[in-house]
Amino acid sequence: MVIAKDWVLALLNPSPLGLAVAIVLALTIPLFLHTFIFRASGLVSLPSILLLGPSGSGKTSLLTLFERGANASTHTSQSPIAVECSLPVGAIARTDKYRSMNDPTNLTHKKFLLLDTPGHGKLRHHALETITNPQNLKGVIFLLDAANMAAGDEGLRQTAGYLHDVLLLLQKRMSNGTSKAPKEMAILIAANKMDLFTALPAALVKSSLETEITKLRVSRSKGLLDSGVNMGDDGEDNDDWLGEMGSKDFKLSQMEEFNIMVEVACGNVTGNANVEKWWKWVGDRL
Amino acid sequence: MLDTFEILTTSGVVLWSRSFSTISPAIINGLITNVFIEERTLPGAGIADDVSAANNPPYKHDQHTVKWTTSKELGVIFVAVYRSLLHLSWIDKLVDNIKTLFVDLYGDQLRKPHTTVVKCHFDEYFDQQLQELEKSAINKDIKVAESTAFLEKAPASVAGELRDEPPPLPGLLSRGQSKNNYNDLTSNDSSPARTPSGSRPSTPAGHLLTGKANPGGKTSRRARKAANTPTYASSGEESGAKKNRAAKAAAPKKGRRWDADGLADEDSDTPLDYSTHANDATSGEEDGTTRPGGMEEVDQETWGSRTKKGQFVLKDLDDQVHSILSSADTKKVGSATSGGLVGSSISAIGGLFRNVVGGKELTKEDLDKDLKVVEDHLLRKNVAREAAIRLCEGVERELIGVKTGSFESPQARIQTAMEASLKKILTPTSSLDLLREIDAVTSPSSLSLTKRRPYVISIVGVNGVGKSTNLSKICFFLLQNKYKVLVVACDTFRSGAVEQLAVHVRNLKELTTREGGVVELYQKGYGKDAANVAKDAVAFGAQEGFDVVLIDTAGRRHNDQRLMSSLEKFAKFAQPDKILMVGEALVGTDSVAQARNFDAAFGAGRRLDGFIISKCDTVGDMVGTLVSMVHATNVPVLFVGVGQHYNDLRTFSVKWAVEKLLDIKK
Repeated sequence: MVIAKDWVLALLNPSPLGLAVAIVLALTIPLFLHTFIFRASGLVSLPSILLLGPSGSGKTSLLTLFERGANASTHTSQSPIAVECSLPVGAIARTDKYRSMNDPTNLTHKKFLLLDTPGHGKLRHHALETITNPQNLKGVIFLLDAANMAAGDEGLRQTAGYLHDVLLLLQKRMSNGTSKAPKEMAILIAANKMDLFTALPAALVKSSLETEITKLRVSRSKGLLDSGVNMGDDGEDNDDWLGEMGSKDFKLSQMEEFNIMVEVACGNVTGNANVEKWWKWVGDRL
Repeated sequence: MLDTFEILTTSGVVLWSRSFSTISPAIINGLITNVFIEERTLPGAGIADDVSAANNPPYKHDQHTVKWTTSKELGVIFVAVYRSLLHLSWIDKLVDNIKTLFVDLYGDQLRKPHTTVVKCHFDEYFDQQLQELEKSAINKDIKVAESTAFLEKAPASVAGELRDEPPPLPGLLSRGQSKNNYNDLTSNDSSPARTPSGSRPSTPAGHLLTGKANPGGKTSRRARKAANTPTYASSGEESGAKKNRAAKAAAPKKGRRWDADGLADEDSDTPLDYSTHANDATSGEEDGTTRPGGMEEVDQETWGSRTKKGQFVLKDLDDQVHSILSSADTKKVGSATSGGLVGSSISAIGGLFRNVVGGKELTKEDLDKDLKVVEDHLLRKNVAREAAIRLCEGVERELIGVKTGSFESPQARIQTAMEASLKKILTPTSSLDLLREIDAVTSPSSLSLTKRRPYVISIVGVNGVGKSTNLSKICFFLLQNKYKVLVVACDTFRSGAVEQLAVHVRNLKELTTREGGVVELYQKGYGKDAANVAKDAVAFGAQEGFDVVLIDTAGRRHNDQRLMSSLEKFAKFAQPDKILMVGEALVGTDSVAQARNFDAAFGAGRRLDGFIISKCDTVGDMVGTLVSMVHATNVPVLFVGVGQHYNDLRTFSVKWAVEKLLDIKK
C-alpha cells in the first residue's frame, strides 16, 4: 500500500525531467508533422485552365505562347506541366469587369495556372484524371488541328473520339450532382493552325465535329459490352449516352443541359500568332 | 558532322538547340513516341535515370541516328542527331558531357515550378565541348595519355556500344597477333622516313576520324576502304589498323597560300592537316612499339603546343567546363564510397524509420526483394517470364532514386508503379472502334473521294485456339448492327473446316434474319490456294455489295516456316483492313513467340492489327497471356472471348485486366 502511494506520488510530482520531456515533445511534434506531411501542399491555389487535345494539335506551343508571348519550338510531350501565366494587357478578367478604370489593382496582371497534358493515346489518363479531380478548375481548352479535319479523315475521327470521351466524362461528373462538382464548366474548342491553307473555318469545324460525334455515339451504343461489365455490378455505368437522350443529332449546345458551356473559336499559334479570341475566353473565366 | 543537338523537357518544350543542318522534327518526335512513350526498344526508357548515352540504344529514323540520354530528376532529355553514314565515336561523350554541364549550370532554374523558361547562354559551352571532343577524337592516340580527369573515363564505355569500335589504342596494339599485323602493315607501306612527300605517319588511331572531320575526306572513304580490303584479311580487332591504312592511301591535303595577285601557291608543302603534324612526334615511337612511358612525355608536349596555338575558345571557359566535369566525376566516385561505420548505421536507422513514415529514397537493394515478389505474382498469373521481367525492370528503372510519399511503404509504391506500367502497356495508342472504322470504309463521305468497298477482316492463329468460333462471334455482332457480311472459308486444308463454317453461317442466318442481317458463305472447297480464294472473295464481296468480308484461315503452327510463309502472299492478295490474331488465354510462355511470329509473318510494312484473346472464362484471374502478347508486339487487344455463345464476346477493358492481374478488390 505504501509502495503504491509512493509510486502515485512520484508520478504526480512535478519533476523537472517530466517537464523537459513534455516540452521537447510539444515542440518537436508540430515540426515533425510539418516536415513529413505538409511539405508538399501549397498555400494558394491559383485558378487553373486545362489544355487538352490530340497529339500534334499544338498544346505545348500554345502553352509557351501564353507564358512567354512568343512560342518556342516543341516536341511530343510525355508528362503534364503546369505553368503560371498572366493575362495580357488587352484581356480583362471577368471578376475585374466592374472595377473602376483608376483602380490600381487593374495594373497588376491576373495570374492563372495553365495545365498542359500529353495528347498521345497512351498518356491521356493524365488529362482525364485532371478533369475528374481538379483543383480550382475554371475551364477547359480543347485544342485541335483544323487543318487535319477533312471529312472522313482519320484525324477528324480521332479528335472527335477524344472530345466525346472528355464531354462524356464531364457530363457524368456534372449530372452526378455531388457537392464537389462546380456549378458550371466551360469548354473552348480552339481550332488551331488557321494559318494553314487547308484549315477549316470555325463553323465548319463545329458542324463536322457534331456529325462525327453523332455517328460515334450511335456506334458506341451499339458496340459490345466491356469485358469488366458482366462481373459484378451492372446497370450502373450504362448511362453512356452523350447529350440529350433520344435526340437524333448531337449538337454542342445540348451540353448546356448539363451546365457545360461549349464555345468554338479559331486562331493560330505559330506564324503570325492570332490568339486574341482565346485570351478573351480565358479572361472571361477568371 | 552532327546535324542537331537539342535539349528538351519531358513536357515537350525545347530548352536549347543548335542545328547545323535542318532536320525534320519527325525524327525527335519519333524518338519520343517510340522509345519513351511506347517503349518499343527498352522498357522503362522514358524514366530511366542518368544512364550514359553509350548505354542507351541509338534510335534510327530514315538516314539519321539519334543518340540520347535523360536526367530523370529534372525531366530533361538530351538528343543528338547525325547521319547514320557517319560514325562519330565521340558523340556519346558529347551527349554525356553536355548533360553534366547543363544540369550543373541550369539545374536550379529547371527545378522551379510553374515555368518552362530557362534562361541559358549555353552556346559557348557547347561549342567548346564540340571542338574539344572533335579535336581529341583526332588526336585519339594522344588521348590515352591525357591526364585530364574527364577524358579518362571515356573509351572503355564507348567501345562496347559503337558499331565502329574506336581504333585500338597503341598500348593494346603492341600485343601478340595484332602487333604482328600492324608491323606488317607498316613495312608494306612506305614509312614516313622513306617518302619524300611527307605522307601521313603510321599512327594506328585517329586517321579515320581525321578524314571525317575535314569535309573532303568523307566522300572517298568508302572507295578507299574498298580498295583496301582485299589485300588485308584480318580479324575484327584490326579494324583500326585497316582504316588507318585506308586513310594513308589518300594524298595529304596541301596548304594553299594566296599571293598578292590572287593566285594560289600550292608549292608550300605545309600539310593542311595539323592533326597529323601533331602526331608526327609520336609516330616515330610507334614503329619501335611498346614504350608507353616515353610516349607520355611527348604527348603532353603536343597537347600543350596545340592549346598554345590559340583555338578560338576562351581559356577561362575551358577551365570552368573542366572543373564542372571533373567535380561531377569526383561526386560520382565519392557517392559510391561514402559513409563510415557511424554514417551507415545512422542511415540504416533512418531507413527503417522512413520505411514506415515515408520519404525514403528507394535504392536497387530495397527494390530487388519486393520486385521479386511482384515478379512471382505475375508469373503465377500466367504472364510469360520475359514479359514479367520486362515489366519489373521498367518499374525498377522508374523507381530507383524516387522518394516514397508520406506514410507510403515501398511495397505500396511498387504496387502503384506496376499498375501504371500495366495500364500503359495495355492501353492502345489510338481508339479501337470497329463499327466506326467499318462505317468509314463502307459509306465514305462524298467529300473524301474514296470509293465504297467492303471492309475486310481476316483472322489468323495457331490450331485450335478458336478462330472459327471467334469469327462467328464477330459475325453475329456485325449482323446485329445490320451489316451485310460475307464469310469466306480460306481453310482449304483441314477436312471439315468448310462444313464447320457452313454450320455457323446457317445458325447465324437463323438467328438474325428477323433483325435484318444478311450473311453468306463463300467457299471453293479444299485444296485451293487460300490467297487466291481470298482475293476472289473480296472481289465478289465488292461486286455484290457486302459491307464486311470475314476471312477464316487455316490454323498454323507459328514456328513452321513453310506454313507461315504463305501468310505474306495472303496479306498481299486479300489486302485485309484488319488482321486479327486469336490467342488462347490458356497458353503460357509460348504466347510471346506466337505473337512475334505471326506479327512478323505478313512481310515488311504489314503487321497484326489486334488480338482476340479467347477462352478467358476458363482461366479465372490468370489473364497474363494478354500482357505477354501485347508486350511482345505492341499490338492492342481488341476483343476478349468469355464463353461458348455467339454473344460471349467483349471489348477489352484495361481496368478489368489490371484489376485481375494485381488482385485489386473493387
